[in-house]
Amino acid sequence: MRLYTYAIIDSTGGVEESINGLFEALVYNIPYRDIGIVVSDLDPQVQIKTEESILKHEEVVEALMDRFTVLPMRLYTVFSGKEDMLLKVKDHYEDFIENLDRVRGKCEYGIKVIWAGNVIKERIINAHKNESASAQPEQSGAKFVKEKFEKYKIDKEFEEEADRCIAIVDSFLNRLASEKELEKLKTDNLLLSAAYLVDKEKSDDFKKAFEELKSSGGDLKFMLSGPWPAYNFITLSRSAAWAIGSPTTAFWPGDGKFGGLDILGK
Amino acid sequence: MSKTIDTSTLLSVDGERSRTIETDSLEIFASEMEKVKDALPKKIEANPENAEKGLAKLVLTLIELIRKLMEKQAMRRVEAGSLTDEEVERVGETLEKLENKMKELKEIFGLKDEELNINLGPLGDLL
Repeated sequence: MRLYTYAIIDSTGGVEESINGLFEALVYNIPYRDIGIVVSDLDPQVQIKTEESILKHEEVVEALMDRFTVLPMRLYTVFSGKEDMLLKVKDHYEDFIENLDRVRGKCEYGIKVIWAGNVIKERIINAHKNESASAQPEQSGAKFVKEKFEKYKIDKEFEEEADRCIAIVDSFLNRLASEKELEKLKTDNLLLSAAYLVDKEKSDDFKKAFEELKSSGGDLKFMLSGPWPAYNFITLSRSAAWAIGSPTTAFWPGDGKFGGLDILGK
Repeated sequence: MSKTIDTSTLLSVDGERSRTIETDSLEIFASEMEKVKDALPKKIEANPENAEKGLAKLVLTLIELIRKLMEKQAMRRVEAGSLTDEEVERVGETLEKLENKMKELKEIFGLKDEELNINLGPLGDLL
């Protein structure tokens, strides 16, 4: 029987309440030293890569989050059996302990900010058009460089404008977070995609800070999500193949990515 | 008006465990996230049927990365004013030839720009 894994938790005890995982299989905890691996049995024949599986995986992880410190596993992490799984866990045990200590008592909030990037870029382009009304160089190499340099200046100014806006947004939230992951300009209009690691006790303060940010945000549009398990703040010390997810927040509709531990290196 | 979505309805979790998504502009965010999804780095699909194309994609992605870095470095030097007119002309000719050669190679292997787009982590996407 295969094992589908959901998370590493800081407990060797049972998962006391009944939580059903993929295909309604009961979720249970396999202890290893002073941590546990939360799994459910998986029939070898079934196809697991479905939308329903994603939601069920997330549901289990969130149920665990309310009672334990959780390191979520990457979607579709399946082992052929208990021995196989424990060998892998042994490899990463020190990392798990370090990460559990780091995220204990904390949760993740996702912030996304949209700005009128297209409009701002247009304004910058027009400003540069007016500035560079000088004669075109005659030689083709110099002409090529001039065109590329124009684009370079526009992109640079656009990024600097984005950096200024992001610094203002971050100033509202930064003081309430122990860690943060900021990603700017995933598209021209998606100014910021951020994850903040916040003490659970400071959740209400964080949400209040978000409301203050929203009310002072002018034309910016905001999205807050959470609390989530610390998808974006878990790292493994081994080579890049084992590294956690991406700087993107884990579970966003349409993101197509799901963070969490990747100890299979997929 | 701010819209708060209680994900307990989306995730079939009982009421006590709801996570929220709060936004004034759900449709706009959904639209931008669709663009992000399309831009996410794709895996290099290497199998016996398309090994050649898979390898070409890998090699051209690396070449494109180096070419873009060279271009950016050149722009920084132009900005700093550290190139003579003659050097600007030479750099420009070289960069133009490299760009044209890349276009040729992409055409030969039937690859589009977005297929060579890789995510450079903190540096953003290559293209």
